[in-house]
Amino acid sequence: MADLEIRDLHVRIEDREILKGVDLDISRGEIHALMGPNGSGKSTLASTLMGHPSYEITEGSITFKGEDITGAEPHERAQAGLFLAFQYPVSIPGVSVANFLRMAINAKRDEPIQVKEFRTHLQHAIELLDVDKAFTSRHLNDGFSGGEKKRAEILQMAMLQPDIAILDETDSGLDIDALRTVAEGVQRLHDEQGLGALIITHYQRILHYVKPEFVHILMDGRIVLEGGVELVERLEREGYDQIRQEVGASADAVAAGDGGV
Amino acid sequence: MTAVSEPSDATTPAATTNGAATNGAAPIQVKPGRHREATLYHALAGAGAGDGRTLAQLRQAALAAYEASELPVWRRSGFWTTSLQSLDLDALSTRPSPLPDSVPDVVTRTLADRPRAGRIVQSAGSVVHVELNPELAAKGVILCSLEDAFSEHGELVAPWYSKRLTIDRNKLEAANAAFWTGGAFLHVPEGLVVEDPFEIVYAIDSPGVAQYGRTLVVGAPTSEFRVHEYDLAEDFDGQALHAGAFELYLQDGARCRLAQVQDWGQGEVFDASTRFVGVGRDAHCHWLPSLLGGHLVRQHLELAVSEPGGDMAFRGLFFTEEQEHLDVFAVDLHETGPSGGDVHWRGAATGESRASFEGLIQIDPGAQQTHTYLQIHSMMLSPKARVDAIPSVLVSSDDVSASHGGTVGELDETAIFYMQTRGLDRPAAVRVIVEGFFEPLISELEDEPLEELVRAKVAGKLAAAREDIEAYATSR
Repeated sequence: MADLEIRDLHVRIEDREILKGVDLDISRGEIHALMGPNGSGKSTLASTLMGHPSYEITEGSITFKGEDITGAEPHERAQAGLFLAFQYPVSIPGVSVANFLRMAINAKRDEPIQVKEFRTHLQHAIELLDVDKAFTSRHLNDGFSGGEKKRAEILQMAMLQPDIAILDETDSGLDIDALRTVAEGVQRLHDEQGLGALIITHYQRILHYVKPEFVHILMDGRIVLEGGVELVERLEREGYDQIRQEVGASADAVAAGDGGV
Repeated sequence: MTAVSEPSDATTPAATTNGAATNGAAPIQVKPGRHREATLYHALAGAGAGDGRTLAQLRQAALAAYEASELPVWRRSGFWTTSLQSLDLDALSTRPSPLPDSVPDVVTRTLADRPRAGRIVQSAGSVVHVELNPELAAKGVILCSLEDAFSEHGELVAPWYSKRLTIDRNKLEAANAAFWTGGAFLHVPEGLVVEDPFEIVYAIDSPGVAQYGRTLVVGAPTSEFRVHEYDLAEDFDGQALHAGAFELYLQDGARCRLAQVQDWGQGEVFDASTRFVGVGRDAHCHWLPSLLGGHLVRQHLELAVSEPGGDMAFRGLFFTEEQEHLDVFAVDLHETGPSGGDVHWRGAATGESRASFEGLIQIDPGAQQTHTYLQIHSMMLSPKARVDAIPSVLVSSDDVSASHGGTVGELDETAIFYMQTRGLDRPAAVRVIVEGFFEPLISELEDEPLEELVRAKVAGKLAAAREDIEAYATSR
């Protein structure tokens, strides 16, 4: 039994059905890539897994570590060990990165973390992600560059040590150095702590630095192809159009739909 | 958040703008004449009542004004009305029986035991505690009741008493000038630098009290010091009044950090006060009132640069809850140039409370080379709370820059979801947002015990409003 089991997930936002029956199994220690064209439902899946209130699950279930979390509050999912790295991280003025991290860590614990333990932990994460120490005293994401925001996401992930992390297009908009830092961070958390990850991406670029064992292709709200890393290479050669033609009629609807979901 | 920004760098004499922003709606122009009942808020802007008159003469004149006037109503047409007519003034007493003779619990409970330069505590109409670091007393610092100051240090008090405060603009201002008892006087001598704060405390620990608090602070040339004023009341049932008059004068090159923490508790406490800070040549004042509670509060706060080279930072925060009504008129007055100003206020409201803020930048004729900026940010945390903010600019000099901006906001659901995905529950996430909203000002207090007190009060208000904030989220 996988740690995270997604079964026949149907999701709607307002009147529009975005996910039309998604099945996916992810366990600790596994790196999955979820790829798909714009508008295929990738970000909807990420937000739904974390319990975003705007997304309505009409059918199916999400089970995490044996518990049904289909209707759980976002913070309950986080405390259980799920993590979402945002495509567009939100700025929280007036709260330093370090203070926020301390609050988030304490939210998962009965006793507040000791100052010394927190510092050691933070120092390790800072080195892992190649950020400046001063970074942690800045207000969270407030005035951060795109690359800094994504680094801050991975820093939080390293500190919170989730079992499964969902990375929603964390690679988009990053230059190659930032991309490499972020990707290497994920890979090291996987290697050192047994992190399980679902890397959601439109491009293949990040997958040169983090090697997924499982690759899923999402089109029109359904997973239409699954395989290993060879699927990434194939996508690189052939593009989504070729695959769309291959998987047939169901994907045609994608072309008729619009992007931005 | 809805941003409202109207830079108005004045390049012509007598340029006047009057911008208004309320609840994210389009700015509303107040048109004189169309709203006949409109009352414009005016700066004190001019000599006060003092003018060489003796205390007895001033009390006499104030008494006449008191008897001739009704309880005040401030009306900002189209925005708010602040009426004190529900106050049963005749039922209140300045000297309740039994007379208070000790420091009320609310004071010992609230104030941190921390290093301080001195402390004076007034309970109802009586000063019940005065202490001053003996080393500072030896260096010429005076901290005593204003009554004692008149009898013992008349020559230091007379030139400043009511120098800029008026005594007859409304019944409660007149009542203060006519009836004040106790009071506080602080004099910091020339060149003296004092690290720890002087604490001035006004407390009301039972209903039925009319407290006419009167404070005079004078910073002699090049002195540097901190003043922390606390306005506190027990949670009681029934009415009480604090009608305060506060004046602080900074002489050449003096520097003062002035902070005020006001929390009148859950009782029906009315507060109608006027505070004036005068900044002399090359002097500097950083002023930060934290208005954290009161049944009905009206504050006229005026920070004036009166001589060249003066500079000021005028900060403020407010947080209203339940049925509270707050009306703040904050004036950034430049009587001469070159001078600098920087006004930055933040406020939040929960429950059915009402917070009204008018910020006025006034640059008088001849106050050339003045540069100032006013910003007001507010946040509404419940569907029935309302915050109005009106920034105004009155400019009568041509070589100046004066502008204003602000935001009116609600809770950002995206930010709440973001923090929830990190394991914080909804109330914790809301708390982070609101504390973060106030933090830029709280950290400017640069005084750890005071910062902690204000943070704790903000957190307490959020905890009390938890259901209300929850209801707001589901109502949208």
